Amino acid sequence: MNPGWMEGSPTPFSKVLVANRGEIAVRVLRAARESGLAGVALYSDSDESSLHVEVAEEAVHLEGDSLDQTYLNAEAIIEAARECGADAIHPGYGFLSERADFARAVESAGLVWIGPPAEAIETMGDKISARTLMIESGVPVIPGEEIAVEDGANHLGALATSAARVGYPLLLKASAGGGGKGMRAVSEPKSLRSEFEAAAREASAAFGDGTVYIERLLTKAKHVEIQILCDSHGGAVHLNERDCSLQRRFQKVIEEAPSPAINQMTREEMGAAAITAAKAVDYVGAGTVEFLLASNGQFFFLEMNTRIQVEHPVTEMTTGIDLVQKQFEVAAGLMLGLEQHEVRQSGHAIEARIYAEDPNGGFLPSTGTLAMWRPPSGPGIRVDSGNREGDEVTIDFDPMLAKLIVHAPTREAAIRRLDIALSDFVALGVRTNIDFLRNAISHRAFHEGIIDTDFLDETPWEELAGPLPDEAKLVAVTASARRLGLGTAHSGTGEAVDEHSGHPGDPFRTLRRAFP
Amino acid sequence: MEWSVSDDNSRYKVTLEEGEGEVRASSMTKDGSEIPPPRVVVSDAGKLGRLLVESDGNHGFAHVVRFGDEWWVHIDGRTHVLKFHEQGGSGSAASEGSLAAPMPGTILELMVKEGQRVREGQPLMVLEAMKMEHRILAPRAGEVTKVNYEQGDRVDMGSVLVEISE
Repeated sequence: MNPGWMEGSPTPFSKVLVANRGEIAVRVLRAARESGLAGVALYSDSDESSLHVEVAEEAVHLEGDSLDQTYLNAEAIIEAARECGADAIHPGYGFLSERADFARAVESAGLVWIGPPAEAIETMGDKISARTLMIESGVPVIPGEEIAVEDGANHLGALATSAARVGYPLLLKASAGGGGKGMRAVSEPKSLRSEFEAAAREASAAFGDGTVYIERLLTKAKHVEIQILCDSHGGAVHLNERDCSLQRRFQKVIEEAPSPAINQMTREEMGAAAITAAKAVDYVGAGTVEFLLASNGQFFFLEMNTRIQVEHPVTEMTTGIDLVQKQFEVAAGLMLGLEQHEVRQSGHAIEARIYAEDPNGGFLPSTGTLAMWRPPSGPGIRVDSGNREGDEVTIDFDPMLAKLIVHAPTREAAIRRLDIALSDFVALGVRTNIDFLRNAISHRAFHEGIIDTDFLDETPWEELAGPLPDEAKLVAVTASARRLGLGTAHSGTGEAVDEHSGHPGDPFRTLRRAFP
Repeated sequence: MEWSVSDDNSRYKVTLEEGEGEVRASSMTKDGSEIPPPRVVVSDAGKLGRLLVESDGNHGFAHVVRFGDEWWVHIDGRTHVLKFHEQGGSGSAASEGSLAAPMPGTILELMVKEGQRVREGQPLMVLEAMKMEHRILAPRAGEVTKVNYEQGDRVDMGSVLVEISE
């Protein structure tokens, strides 16, 4: 039976299979329930008792050991949908979400695909076709030009003309080069000649009569992206921006909305560019257009993510729009029912990604048992997670344990709320980046909103290491805990438990399984 | 019975006094020298591995979980792992110079062999886990006395990868 809101839908559905796992599967399955839709989870052997299976009304087992046999097995997933009578598939993010062939297979199986058209995924998935299309559509891309340099000709004239068009500082590359060979940064016109000659020497073979590529060099750039929503009737709105500049090795760590770095004018320009980009591929559904924001305020198209993003909650908190619900509506062929001027921006939201990793040990991924897992709660605090207390964290999947999202009237208040929420987040048994996140958001540069994408990688460790622990106090507290008989159930070997072993009401007793 | 915090080498001994469900430190040594005991009073907060900690007149909670000799403590908004040493003195000699795998994974590349001298911080091997590569560095200078695995081997967390003597 289709839910009431689907009335008049040309492509109605009533049962959604979620082709994913972890927090996003939990998120989508809950949204399905709220929308009056039945939800079906998928699980591999190691996910048999995972949270996303628990929250689903129904779950289908995928046989096999590898991801290719399970969460990446398009055939088995479509077969699972058929078997259980699901009439729609939501891919989440990652896994098969940006595989055009999967989108096609779902549709040709007669199921509703809760995602953009396969052609849009294809075009945007290829960097070169995306860049070409963006240039044609008038969306700003990082300026770059190819110059054919003929042997013996006066290269410098042509080069200087192109360089002036592209703008300084720029990056000079031999197209036939690679691996950094023949690649030079040029900061001003007067060093163009010497840098070109140096580059030519470095990649002599490549520069003889080859091609030189120059591209504007963006330093101190911020990562700002626009959330868009499009329906299949030509309706399209943008839901403002998210600033994801706080990254570690290109991995987003903190995301926020609005961006502290742009004003209303840039927001509107960027939003319009994002809608142009989406319309260029006849986009339908929720998507994200990523831009690099240069220090001079100019922005350039980076790529488009044709799926729901990890960081979508900050947009939901500030606009009050449930993006997964909107994905359902659009997939059902309904109109957005939302005009651009109706999109509001309320307060400030920040998301922190909680990873199972050890910041003090080179950010190595960590594994273990979440023996104690007490996420914070309270006004303006949201935790999206696929884990619960007692769960094993293994190396089989992504190390993201949870997303902690806070919402407050101002950025300052949101940072304070996030810091308190992080400090209340009890996660014991697996090393996490929680303390590191506190150190990062307490850094002066983050407070001032002036960080760029290199911030975490370039800031000296001492500035991010946090305060030294009061060791004597820790020892006194822990020795006292031992004396009081606490924490005795997590025997290291799972064997003998000493005389302090927990009483029947001791929660650790119920948790005690095979802790390695 | 001694305690240490994380990998820090300082060893602490503490004498506790107990009364009315409360425990406090009455004396403490750090690496054998007497230090003033921290002024904390700890009592069982009744449930869920939670303690009530009174420190210089301020009250707060601590959460504690034990894995063997490892004690995980969340207090004052931060998480710490303390090590309990039953025997006291330095830990077992065998584990002193050995390097355990910090995570389960596959050895992609082995950069040292037995008998080789290494300096502190020198890369010993590359371990792959969760589709990421991680370099295992020498914790200190010394001679590699044993290499327990070969390239391509899968290792569990805590497996002794190499042993390094002074």
